[in-house]
Amino acid sequence: MPDEQAPAQAPPAPAAPAGGGHGHSGPGPGGPGGGRPQGGRPGGPAKRGKRSFVRKKKVCRFCVDKADFIDYKKAEILAPFIQERGKILPRRMTGTCARHQRWLTVAIKRAQNIALLPFAAEL
Amino acid sequence: MEERQYDLIFICRPDTPEPDVDKLIATIEHAATEKGGKIESVNKWGRRRMAYRVHKLREGYYVYMVVKSSHGEVVKELERRLKVSDPVIKYLTVRLDEELKRQEKLKRHRERRAARRPRKTAPAPAQTPTGGGEHAAAQA
Repeated sequence: MPDEQAPAQAPPAPAAPAGGGHGHSGPGPGGPGGGRPQGGRPGGPAKRGKRSFVRKKKVCRFCVDKADFIDYKKAEILAPFIQERGKILPRRMTGTCARHQRWLTVAIKRAQNIALLPFAAEL
Repeated sequence: MEERQYDLIFICRPDTPEPDVDKLIATIEHAATEKGGKIESVNKWGRRRMAYRVHKLREGYYVYMVVKSSHGEVVKELERRLKVSDPVIKYLTVRLDEELKRQEKLKRHRERRAARRPRKTAPAPAQTPTGGGEHAAAQA
């Protein structure tokens, strides 16, 4: 996709979905940079749609929050990490890092024991 | 021996009257102090929907308390009491002091690391150019 545009524009285009793209383009060509984001922005979503085949890098949500401890009492935090049926989602689905997944499973299992989370979906 | 910290959660039948719950909490507190433990805090979460049915009940009255003691006898006694008391349908005790210790350690570790290299992270190139880029876009 980026190749269709000017070579100088190539760096901002792929980075645009991340939001940091303009950061890279900014310091370079100051004058033309003004016109480019306009061209890049409307094109952005369309490109994002096509590029969605490229696997997006998943980030551990607990690392982002700098969590040192996963509280089993907060069921609403743990809920996104279990399936509809009650299974714990694997790391490859959620992008959780190994250490936090380890803590997370313990927290989910504790929450299950005190009926904050289901062991399995009912009915 | 160093002090241990436990989380104690129990669930009463949803139709238990509030005074009965308070009485139950009082007896538990009494039992804990008798055995040399200490109840740090009591927090009544109130009626809550349970994730699955327990004793054919869908709701339960949750009570959460933090217990401190230096030996496991206290927990043994508290669990025995919860087991025999009629309104309690479920309970859970979790030893937490080791996890809290780990949490503290990680926190200290991170703070120390942040203090050690403030220069490297502070003038990161990400922020200023972003503003510049947006400015350029706005002008155009």
